[in-house]
Amino acid sequence: MGEFRFKSEVWTSEYTGIKANTIHAFLKALRHVHEDVIYYHLYRNIFEFHYLPLDYANSFAYWMAENGYYVLAEKLSVIDPLQYTSLEDIRHDIIRILEDSGEDLDVLCSKPFYFIRAVRMAVDLNIVAKDLESFVNGLKKIGWHSLFYHLVTARLKLGKPINDFSRWFESIGEVELAREIEKVNLWAHTLREVKGQLISIVERKLYAH
Amino acid sequence: MLIEQYATYIGEGNIEEIKAVAEPLKGLKVLHVNSTRLGGGVSEILYRLIPLMRDLGIDAEWQVIKGDEEFFKVTKKIHNLLHMPGHDRLTSEDIITYMRTTYENLSYIDTSPYDIVFIHDPQPMGLIVNKRQGQKWIWRCHIDISTPDEETWKFVEMFVNAYDAIVFHIAEFAKEGVKIPKFIIAPSIDPFHDKNVELDRNFITSTLEKFGIDPKRPIVLQVSRFDRLKDPFGVLQAFKMVKRACDCQLVLAGGYASDDPEGEEVYNEVMEEASKMKDVFVLNLPPDSHYEINALQRAATVVVQKSIREGFGLVVTEAMWKEKPVVGGNVGGIRRQIVNGFTGYLVNSIEGTAYRIRQLLINSEMAKVMGRNAKERVRHTFLITRQLKDYLVLINYLINSDHIQR
Repeated sequence: MGEFRFKSEVWTSEYTGIKANTIHAFLKALRHVHEDVIYYHLYRNIFEFHYLPLDYANSFAYWMAENGYYVLAEKLSVIDPLQYTSLEDIRHDIIRILEDSGEDLDVLCSKPFYFIRAVRMAVDLNIVAKDLESFVNGLKKIGWHSLFYHLVTARLKLGKPINDFSRWFESIGEVELAREIEKVNLWAHTLREVKGQLISIVERKLYAH
Repeated sequence: MLIEQYATYIGEGNIEEIKAVAEPLKGLKVLHVNSTRLGGGVSEILYRLIPLMRDLGIDAEWQVIKGDEEFFKVTKKIHNLLHMPGHDRLTSEDIITYMRTTYENLSYIDTSPYDIVFIHDPQPMGLIVNKRQGQKWIWRCHIDISTPDEETWKFVEMFVNAYDAIVFHIAEFAKEGVKIPKFIIAPSIDPFHDKNVELDRNFITSTLEKFGIDPKRPIVLQVSRFDRLKDPFGVLQAFKMVKRACDCQLVLAGGYASDDPEGEEVYNEVMEEASKMKDVFVLNLPPDSHYEINALQRAATVVVQKSIREGFGLVVTEAMWKEKPVVGGNVGGIRRQIVNGFTGYLVNSIEGTAYRIRQLLINSEMAKVMGRNAKERVRHTFLITRQLKDYLVLINYLINSDHIQR
């Protein structure tokens, strides 16, 4: 049975100095900004706001709405980062939506968009799980960033459309548990709540054993 | 460990993450320099941040520059002119005063033993002339310098460009064209500060009674110094509109420094206006009234921060931490603090302020839910532990971008 190492990824924010005043300028910047800019504006927003039933799902969409592009705001909101395994694919889809919008891309926006990059730092928490019991003990010891890393960011790192926990459960033959974990809705709960849910799912299975 | 006390609020797991981020920085020498040890948001944060950094094995210290009245008049002018152009301008005499005091401070403050130097705000920024090879210097800018007086900026820019990074509260505060890396780190509050600790119910009630406020009737509160940019007159007008539909009281709590003639003028005008109204309490409190402010915030039904211009309203965060829905001006950092319709409301007018206060007073259940959301938002994003983590990531990033010889 392989072991599971709990890791984490923390970040801070760096303003790129790129400011867009039109959709055209936004599009131009979007084509070449570092992919951690895409990460910041789509993923970090899930981390910060995932528990908020907001009107729009990410800061790109918010900016569109603030400037009166409500259709574009909705189209960008429906992009669900959890369904992607590559930031380049997200970039590609956003560019396509904007190019196909039919809007006049050169209209001056009343509020500019500031492109921000996530400066990411991975850390090993030195917590290792070898079975369900040590896994649930590990889960109790980790923080929000670690939870987010294994449930969300790991999909990008490994290029696989499944969270890290479920992948490990599958590898040890706990297929049903893997499915249950994957079903936990990150958009509907705070990370504190998600953590509680994961602990009770695994503990239920553990005690059933 | 001191850091572990915070597990009460953010959980043990998040503390372990912070320790992991600090691990590579153990033994690093970090210096913070600002212009005052008492009063203001910067010293409030440093007061706790330094012990927390030390607790994590970082050799952190805090030093304060010295200066006479003339020096601080000049730095106040620089501060104002960086904020926005005005009638004033920086003169040659001002520059001489600034440089003379900066050089005097170089003999008190030895920056050479440190790997990382954080300089807070414009007052001590000239110390950069002592930067030695291998050090990383960070300018922590707490003000909006996006539209400065250009002449003043030219003077300041010469220092700024020697730094390795600038930290702003929000991207909108950054000056365009600055070439060095610009980081965005929001300010935070300390849940263990006297302003934020849990209070006994009896203390809250007796505080209200001391000021003649009825503990049984709804309270609308704005905490801010007496300053036109906080729009106390707009709050009074909004309250008049609310009062037509709801039985409630308004508390305007704040203060002004003894050397702030404009503050006194605003206070007197507010008092005069309030004297014509019923159920309005204008409280001019000493700067150390932390428990009283805490009690007023906890007793409030709705908290207002109707600023016209605002860096980052820490009182907004403090009220949110106490589970209060906040009605805030749609400006500056407040736009990042309040999630409109979820933790409170962002407003653009006096009428908007009145409408949202009324809405929250009428829908007490909704106000409660928003208050709970507000607290969760602060727990997640605006506590000192998050700011500490941001600083640790920034330091890690800077030292790895160009290895420091230790």
